Amino acid sequence: MEVCGSSSPTLREFGCEQNLLSRPDGSSSFIQGDTSVLAAVYGPAEVKVSKEIYDRATMEVVIQPKVGVPSVRERAREQCVRETCEAALLSKLHPRSSFTLVLQVVHDDGSLLSCFLNAACMALMDGGLPMGCLFAGVTCAINGEGQIITDPTAVQEKGSRALMTFAIDSTERRVMMSSTKGSFTVHELQKCIAISQKASEKIFQFYRDSVRRRYSKTL
Amino acid sequence: MAAGFKTAEPLEYHRSFLAKNCRPDGRELGDFRTTTLNIGSISTADGSALVKVGNTTVICGIKAEFAYPAVESPGKGYIVPNVDLPPLCSSRFRPGPPGEQAQAASQFIADIIESSDVMQTEELCIVKGKLCWVLYCDIMCLDYDGNLLDACLIALLAALKNARLPKVTFSKDSEVPEVNLENRTGLNIHKHPVAASFAVFDDSITIVDPTAEEESLSTATITVVLDEEERLCALHKPGGTSLSGQKLQDCISRATTRHREIHKLIDKVIQSTKTPE
Amino acid sequence: MLNSFKDKIGDVLLPGDVFSVQMPESITDSKPEKIVCGPGLRRNGDEVLVCKSGVLRHKPPNLYWIDSQQRRYIPVKGESVIGIVTAKSGDIFKVDIGASEQASLSYLAFEGATKRNRPNVQVGDLVYSQLIIANKDMEPELACIDSCGRANGMGVFGAGGLLFKVSLGLVRRLLAPQSEITVDLGKLFPFEMVVGLNGRVWVKARTAQQTLIVANMLESCENMTAQQRQVLFRRVADGSI
Repeated sequence: MEVCGSSSPTLREFGCEQNLLSRPDGSSSFIQGDTSVLAAVYGPAEVKVSKEIYDRATMEVVIQPKVGVPSVRERAREQCVRETCEAALLSKLHPRSSFTLVLQVVHDDGSLLSCFLNAACMALMDGGLPMGCLFAGVTCAINGEGQIITDPTAVQEKGSRALMTFAIDSTERRVMMSSTKGSFTVHELQKCIAISQKASEKIFQFYRDSVRRRYSKTL
Repeated sequence: MAAGFKTAEPLEYHRSFLAKNCRPDGRELGDFRTTTLNIGSISTADGSALVKVGNTTVICGIKAEFAYPAVESPGKGYIVPNVDLPPLCSSRFRPGPPGEQAQAASQFIADIIESSDVMQTEELCIVKGKLCWVLYCDIMCLDYDGNLLDACLIALLAALKNARLPKVTFSKDSEVPEVNLENRTGLNIHKHPVAASFAVFDDSITIVDPTAEEESLSTATITVVLDEEERLCALHKPGGTSLSGQKLQDCISRATTRHREIHKLIDKVIQSTKTPE
Repeated sequence: MLNSFKDKIGDVLLPGDVFSVQMPESITDSKPEKIVCGPGLRRNGDEVLVCKSGVLRHKPPNLYWIDSQQRRYIPVKGESVIGIVTAKSGDIFKVDIGASEQASLSYLAFEGATKRNRPNVQVGDLVYSQLIIANKDMEPELACIDSCGRANGMGVFGAGGLLFKVSLGLVRRLLAPQSEITVDLGKLFPFEMVVGLNGRVWVKARTAQQTLIVANMLESCENMTAQQRQVLFRRVADGSI
């Protein structure tokens, strides 16, 4: 939320709840500041014959906007989330089955794509799907003065000159997904990647804490 | 023998080439396929271009129409890109409403137009709040052999440079626009965004300009879009295996040289069409 | 190091956590320790990769697994599950066991069944049966007899009871030897219970009301600590709920 220099990046307060829906196999809600997303995952489940892949599971992602029907913008985001999940999941372990992830926007106050990614990761974990690594979404905005703002609000996004969202993996902290808007220099890009990697540490620690809290009753 | 190997073990087939730093079609890892450009190929459109990157063929036609400016931005026109992947171009596409790839490509092109400032939409305004141009940029793939985004962006850029809009006079009294089809002017193109796509094999080897087969076997694809000032307009990596900042840097440097090549190509083609006049 | 892995027993692990199980150079003379990876763990050379979130458990001498609160069932050979017969086709029944595919159950896989003497199984019946084929590449197959040809408690059941779904973690807790939950529940009133490893539980008590009480209590056990559960059970025993 705040402008950050060389010190550790500041993110808005985030919260998460797992296993809050009764029907899906895994569910989560992820809140970053005022941005909130609800995720549900079904799988491994039966797959349509036309979509069946003989050596791995079929991944489907559906993004439901807060109002109206999904548009081309949602489609592009679905593609980003789906391919990120595909890379993290060990889908070879469940051939000829399907994983379906539904993401419902509850409220959008900036950094929506990163919130989708974080909610998706928590839901996949909750569903007990086999994963090779975790991922965290971080959005960076570069404002008119060239300062980098992590996890911007909708207002900050509007006033920014460039906006980048990265998915960082948990094993080597490398870039799994990148989606950008606006123009920026190579140097700015590398700086944003470095900041996102740093910010992802916090998110991964948060993942660990919230899963630990969830299992605290059965320890 | 080789054909059987290719069909049975496509991934192994490609790996055996990559191990020797070359690719089944004879290219090195960092080589683009031959890119050819033809502009003004559709005489009925206001601007058009046909691009071939290897076998991938993409045609872009620009149609200019009058429209009312949006209330929130009375001084701006619109650019509406649309990417169409008909069943004609590959057996993987089915007839019917556009699939996910076509929609994602359309969104990508729209994002590039917005983030790169390829042209100022203010210049498409004819009378503030009353009349403006809307440029429908229909990009259609005729033959799909991978690296769609690169080809689409070259086609769009060349077609925009080729487009010539008629002069419009707007009489205040009758509020009827008069179009002078004889007197046409070109568009003012500020930036020249050029894309370069990469595919990642086995989590480590990056190859440039993947074919459709390489795309389907790769573990990730990346598209880097640069303008002439070496500013990035997009770093599009929709998931896939992760890459370090260093690897991305290598891709960006390769994209810089690609930008020079394409910029030169577009300029050359435009020059060549001008000379006969 | 294997030690760092052992330190995590009883701790919560997340997918992507990697532990090296290679022995340090100094003690290579001693016999290398083998480890067996259960659910949620994968062996990759000298490394153990965690691929599910949950609590790391250990059973001497060398069995390790991740205890997760999954809900979707993944068939494993030898496990006993509750299935619902969905179709009869030729000489097999199609049975829904909550996995990604329907399981098949031969009509000959019942005690005393022969080609002439077909078992009486209708669509919609519940069957308690064992998975005899379960792997990722094949359709799961069930049998209602053990290797000696005996029913051994398996077969069609479930007249007048209630079937409901709980998480796989809770099912394993219910089936653990001397499970506190089952013992405590048994003290309240007598009831019959069938627990399938696919997360399905069937309960039947003397009255419909008691059946519902048991079902609701089992469902609520999912998210309760041992103390909370005991408080709840005491209140039910006192008749205050």
